[in-house]
Amino acid sequence: MNRRDAEIELKKKFGFERFHDKQWTAINWLLKGKRVLLIEKTGFGKSLCYQFPATQFHGLTVIFSPLVALMRDQVDSLNKKGIEARYIIYEQSPEKNSQAIKEAIDGKIKILYIAPERQENQEWIEAVRQMKISMVVIDEAHTISVWGHDFRPSFRRIINLIKLLPDNIPVLATTATATAKVQKDIERQISGKILTLRGNLIRDNFQLYVIKVSSEDEKLIWIADNINELEGTGIIYTGTRVNTEIYSRWLQFSGIEATGYNAGLDANSRKEVESGLMNNKWKAIISTNALGMGIDKPDIRFIIHTQIPSSPIHYYQEIGRAGRDGKPAKLILFYNSAKDENGIEEDMKLPKAFINGSRPSIENYTQVINCLKDCSLTEEQILKMTDLKQNQFKVIKADLIEQGIIKEVIYSTKKNYEYQYDAPELNTKLFEELRRIKEEELNAMVQYVNLDSSRMKFLCEYLGDSSNKNYSNCDNTSLKNYFLNPSGENIKRLSDFRKNYFPELIVGNSKSKLVNGVAAGYYGVSNIGSALNRSKYKGGGDFPKFLLKLTLKALRKKYPREKFDLLIYVPPTESGDLVRNFAEKIASDLKIPLSHDLVKTGDTKPQKIFNNSILKKDNVKGKFSFQDPEKLKDKTVLLFDNIFDSGATIKEIGAMLTKHGVKKIIPIVIARTVGGDI
Amino acid sequence: MEVNEFPYWVTLAHLQGVTTRRKNDIIVRLFEEGKTLIDFFHNGPENWRNCYNLSDKEIQIFSQGIDEIPNNSFLVEDLLEQGYAIVPITSKEYSRMLKKNLGRLAPTVIYTKGNRKIMQEDSIAIVGSRSANEISLQFTDNIAKKSAHEGKVIVSGFAKGVDKQALDSALNYNGRSIIVLPQGIMTFSSGFKNYYKQIVSGEVLVISTFYPRSPWKRELAMARNTVIYGLAKEIYVAESSDKGGTWSGVMDGLRRNRIIHVRYPESGEKNANSLLIDRGALAVDLEGFVINDDINPDHVHVKKSTEFIRENICNGTISFENKIREIIGNKALSLGDINKSLDMGWSMDKLRNRLKKLDFLEVDKKNKKNLYRIKSEKIDTQKLLFD
Repeated sequence: MNRRDAEIELKKKFGFERFHDKQWTAINWLLKGKRVLLIEKTGFGKSLCYQFPATQFHGLTVIFSPLVALMRDQVDSLNKKGIEARYIIYEQSPEKNSQAIKEAIDGKIKILYIAPERQENQEWIEAVRQMKISMVVIDEAHTISVWGHDFRPSFRRIINLIKLLPDNIPVLATTATATAKVQKDIERQISGKILTLRGNLIRDNFQLYVIKVSSEDEKLIWIADNINELEGTGIIYTGTRVNTEIYSRWLQFSGIEATGYNAGLDANSRKEVESGLMNNKWKAIISTNALGMGIDKPDIRFIIHTQIPSSPIHYYQEIGRAGRDGKPAKLILFYNSAKDENGIEEDMKLPKAFINGSRPSIENYTQVINCLKDCSLTEEQILKMTDLKQNQFKVIKADLIEQGIIKEVIYSTKKNYEYQYDAPELNTKLFEELRRIKEEELNAMVQYVNLDSSRMKFLCEYLGDSSNKNYSNCDNTSLKNYFLNPSGENIKRLSDFRKNYFPELIVGNSKSKLVNGVAAGYYGVSNIGSALNRSKYKGGGDFPKFLLKLTLKALRKKYPREKFDLLIYVPPTESGDLVRNFAEKIASDLKIPLSHDLVKTGDTKPQKIFNNSILKKDNVKGKFSFQDPEKLKDKTVLLFDNIFDSGATIKEIGAMLTKHGVKKIIPIVIARTVGGDI
Repeated sequence: MEVNEFPYWVTLAHLQGVTTRRKNDIIVRLFEEGKTLIDFFHNGPENWRNCYNLSDKEIQIFSQGIDEIPNNSFLVEDLLEQGYAIVPITSKEYSRMLKKNLGRLAPTVIYTKGNRKIMQEDSIAIVGSRSANEISLQFTDNIAKKSAHEGKVIVSGFAKGVDKQALDSALNYNGRSIIVLPQGIMTFSSGFKNYYKQIVSGEVLVISTFYPRSPWKRELAMARNTVIYGLAKEIYVAESSDKGGTWSGVMDGLRRNRIIHVRYPESGEKNANSLLIDRGALAVDLEGFVINDDINPDHVHVKKSTEFIRENICNGTISFENKIREIIGNKALSLGDINKSLDMGWSMDKLRNRLKKLDFLEVDKKNKKNLYRIKSEKIDTQKLLFD
């Protein structure tokens, strides 16, 4: 097919007059059965480079993409054009997924989008045998190299698959962000004769700013002072889930339309926020970097980072979501350069902690290997045997699979892990190398912060684009700097906010009468933790009065008009009468009856000794009963405990009380730990 | 071998409508030409017809096969990811014994899990009925014990009765074992769990020659017996009825001139062990020692194997073709020499006519005398690929 014929087809199928030259080069190669790596910035029209050839091939094009939102958008848009396309994702019902598979087998569709994890699904593997595959596409191909461990196993499998495909099956790998090193890595991994097309990465409509601060408060105040001056709507990225909550609550407190988003939210809430983002429901969404990838919103006008990302690649990737319509977009990065007593800059601490904590200890690796030498185990069994945290195990699992020491096998529908005969020794040198690279990347990010020259030029060059352009779109070139000039009003407001800010306990679900509760504060962040610690472990007597005051304040703030029928408290494991005594004080203050009927039916250990949520759940499962269940019928119950960690105890008691016909259960605690297990 | 060749091997191995012999003939040709299976599949119909003498029907089958290669890439990825190995017949890891015993009928591809090295070691198959009696199980245990102590690998079929006893005894005596599955390798989950430790430590290798997701089927169980016999250097039969897998496996083995040891039954036993001994198997006692006619004149049923072979060529049980291959070997023989070795009492004309039909032979004229030899290129390849 020559370009003229192709453009006639293009007009018919997609309504466009012509391809850009580079688009045609890529398409032409693919039509000739070549393998292509396409590195082009957002807005280039990468998807047309596979969608068009897909319509010309006789069989099916399979597109591996980690971006659910992007799949949805593209499938809708293709179907509207009369090009039959489907997606298979976990968020869709199994019936719909099976239907899509059937249509692919029957040759009724041209394009099928699937998540990389699908390659682990046996139904898919069996079904794909019956499909006529014409082309394979890897979207966001940079994830092969730069993504964290969460994504690696499934992408590693896609790479293995590509290596096994016949040479004459066209393969397209696309990405907007790849350094020269990553490019080489992708080329090596995809193997065969791969042709690379690389465009320039400059985004002329970007306006890049860095604001150096000397405290977290300065960031909060600057945003409250200035966000309404920024045009349109945007995203504020924080470094932690807790900060999404604090920042969103602060902005709400300041009268700004804002909401929080992180991977800890349930699927419905996440969907709601994603759709709200599309409809400009809020001025800003405060999120971890879980939000935005693949969301095809053309008019995100600003992106603010309250914490530096781990590398310039991550930063370019994350800000790349703004200004897709080509109109100006403001990209603001905060950096707290205040030094602690050890001379470490405050905003270096979190990314450094991520690097330090990114790999579990060698002992943990050995522990998993030794378990698997004896028998084939599921993830749950391994977690129970080792008490590793889920995310630690995820890293260990990926590394051990990568090194060929263990394999993930599927028996019926269950995943098991198996040690391999003749497995090599664990290679820890690779970990050291990876750590060194991560440190270098972080240093480069700090270099970006401290630049006195063009920021865009720095990013483009870091990403392997050294085209000689005129870069004039940052605070170091032609744009006016943003200065810190905190308003007195917001300084005071922030102080009020701090006094009235109480962390939420997210435990509500449709299956029980438990609703979300509240804590007086975070353990370890304020003086609350140390006060609890003194009473519990250092013979400091009852929990101090200020904690009672704070706890009651938190409750009134969260449930100002709620009437409680009964207060019950979690029987202690190691606090003696501290919890009971405190509960008595709450009951007396609220003037509600206190019940001592919630009892333990078996021994439990302190939850803090377990690292993973499975063992925490097991520790309390079936261990509580209520002696006089009649008291609970249709009652609104306040359930008190001193510390909330994974929530396993509260949920277990909630389920038990629900069975006894309670109307509503509101949990309240003195402190919520930061982090916990995911 | 590069992993990207595996999808081609899997495609070839499971092509319907082409015999294993035909597939292996193609592989032998490729081997001697220094080409890969990828080259073959991508050379296309004209080349297949001209260079490999593929018929129209075969060309159609192979053309469909090409379409299956990308799909099999997904299967191969899944197999490798789950720790299974794919061993094509040209691989150095492929059992030499299996190639030697089955020749061009050896499976094109075998799928394995575990220690593949034990495929190359001295091996012994212990086979028999699923409902074997106590004596047979004792015999199995005795042979397994002896073999384990001698460092031999015990091959069995993972059925109830003798198979299971052979495996358990082998492991019990710290021996090593090959399990040959009557099903696809990916459907053996409970077995993998039960023998996990032995697989991980290299004492057990699991093998299947069938499509990896095939469930257990009677016909697969029958077909698997050929592989069990093929993998083993020595074969011991604990108990057989006069039909079924063990019986047909032994008969197939005898047709291939294998020496097969059958437990001499005690009086009153209801099985077909004596019948097998009548057909040419060697009688052995409970400890596996060959029962010698001279020492024990009661055992008159034991016949010399050459006598048996002659009988079976007459009635067509043993292939004439194989016998001729064996007689000629890598020599060049006259018609008279062949007739003498064949010892069938045939006329020279009858033999000449029969030899004309064998396409693996070529005739050289030397001193006005016709000398028969096996086509030279194939001898070389056989040495490389199947010896």
